[in-house]
Amino acid sequence: MKSSLAVKATRFVIVAMVFAVWELLSRTGMINPRLLPSASDTIVTLADLLGRPGVRSDILVTGAEVLTAFVIAVPFGALVGLLIAESRYFAEVAKPLLFFAFSIPKSIFLPMFILVFGVGFAQKVGFGFFSTIFIVIMSTTTAVESVKPENLMVARSYGATPAQTVWRVYLPSMLPVLLEALRISMIFNLTGVMLAEMYASREGMGHLIANWGENFMMRQLLAGVLMVAIIAVSFNELVRWVETRCSHWRT
Amino acid sequence: MQPLANITPIKPAARAGAVQLGGVGLVYKTSGQDVVAVSDVSIEVKPGRFAVLVGPSGCGKSSLLMMMAGLRHQTSGAISINGAPIEVPDPDRVGVVFQEPSLFPWLTAEENVEFPLTLRGVSKQERRAKAEEALQLVGLDGFGKRHPHELSGGMKQRVSIARGLVQDPPVLLMDEPFAALDEQTRMTMGDELLRIWAATGKTIVFVTHSLTEAVYLADEVIVMSARPGRIVDRLEVALPRPRTFEMLSGDAFGSLRDRIWRHIRKSA
Amino acid sequence: MSSTMLRRLIVISLIVLWEVLPRIGVIPELFLPSLSSTLLAGWNQAGEYGHALVVTLYEVAIGMVIACGGGILAGAVVGSLPRPRLLIMPMVSSLYAVPLVILYPVFTVWLGIGSESKIAFAGMYGFLPTMLATSAGIQTIDPQLLLAARSMGATLSQRVTRVVIPAAIPTVLSGLRVGGALVIVGVVVSEMLISSAGIGYLISRYRTILDSQHVFAGVLLVLAMAIAFNAMIKFVERRAAVWQTGTRAGPDMIAREIPAAATA
Ligand SMILES: Nc1ncnc2c1ncn2[C@@H]1O[C@H](COP(=O)(O)OP(=O)(O)O)[C@@H](O)[C@H]1O
Ligand SMILES: [Mg+2]
Repeated sequence: MKSSLAVKATRFVIVAMVFAVWELLSRTGMINPRLLPSASDTIVTLADLLGRPGVRSDILVTGAEVLTAFVIAVPFGALVGLLIAESRYFAEVAKPLLFFAFSIPKSIFLPMFILVFGVGFAQKVGFGFFSTIFIVIMSTTTAVESVKPENLMVARSYGATPAQTVWRVYLPSMLPVLLEALRISMIFNLTGVMLAEMYASREGMGHLIANWGENFMMRQLLAGVLMVAIIAVSFNELVRWVETRCSHWRT
Repeated sequence: MQPLANITPIKPAARAGAVQLGGVGLVYKTSGQDVVAVSDVSIEVKPGRFAVLVGPSGCGKSSLLMMMAGLRHQTSGAISINGAPIEVPDPDRVGVVFQEPSLFPWLTAEENVEFPLTLRGVSKQERRAKAEEALQLVGLDGFGKRHPHELSGGMKQRVSIARGLVQDPPVLLMDEPFAALDEQTRMTMGDELLRIWAATGKTIVFVTHSLTEAVYLADEVIVMSARPGRIVDRLEVALPRPRTFEMLSGDAFGSLRDRIWRHIRKSA
Repeated sequence: MSSTMLRRLIVISLIVLWEVLPRIGVIPELFLPSLSSTLLAGWNQAGEYGHALVVTLYEVAIGMVIACGGGILAGAVVGSLPRPRLLIMPMVSSLYAVPLVILYPVFTVWLGIGSESKIAFAGMYGFLPTMLATSAGIQTIDPQLLLAARSMGATLSQRVTRVVIPAAIPTVLSGLRVGGALVIVGVVVSEMLISSAGIGYLISRYRTILDSQHVFAGVLLVLAMAIAFNAMIKFVERRAAVWQTGTRAGPDMIAREIPAAATA
């Protein structure tokens, strides 16, 4: 594992270098600091922003929207996915439709959500749900299909009960795909909510970022971008970490 | 069997090549410790002979073949093919057939066979003619327009052999070419290979881990030990040709196979 | 009933419902104007939509050159060098988790609200997934094919032109599909957010005056664009279907499909 440590160190150095170049470009005035505030200024601003109650409540609003959409979309999508995968006929009917729905751009339907729900919490959750649901359905059907028939056959031939089959065969086979689905769903969900907030909103991180951009407040804008990026990457890495922990299940 | 213009049955002494290895060693440098894959291997295969290399898995058979093909350079010793050292792949002297048929999926069987000629800018007409002949030789006439995914495993490997033969090299190296085939196809392919060999008089170095296949095909069997691979025995297979299915159950066959097995068991 | 027939039935009934439900007032016309009134509205303003389409297509075209050209090139380089690949690819896919749309305001500050900021944003939006897809695809080129070519005396340039490039074609196509779809989304979304021209702009402008028919006409136009692009790539892919077997299908096939639709 020596080499993996070296890889991690190198990655850290790369990130550090990106920040160093950013700092240098701005400090030396090669890029106008009003257009690109330095990395250190941005980080200081970020700390300052995090101290403000107004910003913190915006973060909470976004967090609540993202979580609500996620908590509704994932079980609902998983259920629909399971039902579709359950019957071969149904899967044949639904899959091309789903794939179509999956591949068309969702963002252009944003105005419809505003027309129906207004610009509040419900609209953000609705659009987050809409952005996420298709990928959850698709991934669930994929997960079910990733269960190998020969494994089921073996379980059955050794007299496994249905509960045992679910617990010992279905779950372990599906888990890696499901975790990956969770990770990607979150990316879609977060993108959906941020976009909805930037498009029309009175609160939330997306609203703040859009506002800072319109008012040329580059320091706040970059700090906001940095913060969202850190949150998104952290969640992503967390799920990935769980994935690798479960990787011994992968066949 | 039809007379062949470019792949001619030739007098061994005049045309066929020989393979010579003297004190060949190979060390793989890895990030961990170095792997000594092959150590002090000396082999001589006389022109026109069918030599089979056997040994436990991982003993360096493929590595040895790669060096003979000029695909990898030995760390010590010397290798010569047809009397001259081999440093880089030289399709005029050596044809190679791998375990995987390694056909280009976007080319037809015919175009695959033509590929080595295409690389050297041979004219379309000449390529076509030679490819057709080679395909005929391996029993695939009429299949030239198919793509690899339309061919069975055995047919793919035939195309791969045709490709190895199309430039008429004196030496053909084959690395477990039938290992991925089922038993029946494998037997048929063995007979086919012997027929092609008899028709062309190539020198063949053939790697396998099947002892039966080794004895069935070979003039001589070279037995290697587990890593680092060394030569532990060389057997002449004096069974008459053509080889037949009945020989498999004979005493002579059995005792040869037993002798190889004892070496391999000892070294494993 | 065959599954295809049932599916057609579903699609047809959805279209019929789209016409009927708003007409009989089950769904308010403000939420969903009927199909015919939407098409009519679009037709009546054909000039305006045509003009917007030209602007959008221009931005999409240049964005695609940046995203697909750059992404395929970068993906090919990174994908074929094992060390940088191990180092960089996981970082790139982490970056992919960031909702890139938050960078659009930065582009408007830097480049203004004209076409430049749309092109830059859409180019960036399509770049990462294209690079990921290409790099994943390059890795699936069977090394045995390269070895075989070498054994036949192929020079380095012959190996590139006769093995790597043909073997990479399916990858490049899927990269193009991924990147292209995202560039379309990137342009339309950025036009919707802040701009003064293009279909996205029209959609947003009509939205603020609650003119649903014209909003939906714009939405339909974007859909048609996305579908047309997809169909075009599919057509080329089918023509090159023989190639598909040139790479070893792996578990990452799904992963490569997913960014194709990362069009939130
Ligand atoms: N590129 C390589 N780097 C390091 N070790 C290798 C490499 N290729 C093969 N080896 C090692 O060299 C030994 C011989 O391999 P190989 O020639 O493929 O054996 P065989 O064909 O007899 O199974 C094996 O132990 C293998 O692990
Ligand atoms: Mg081997």
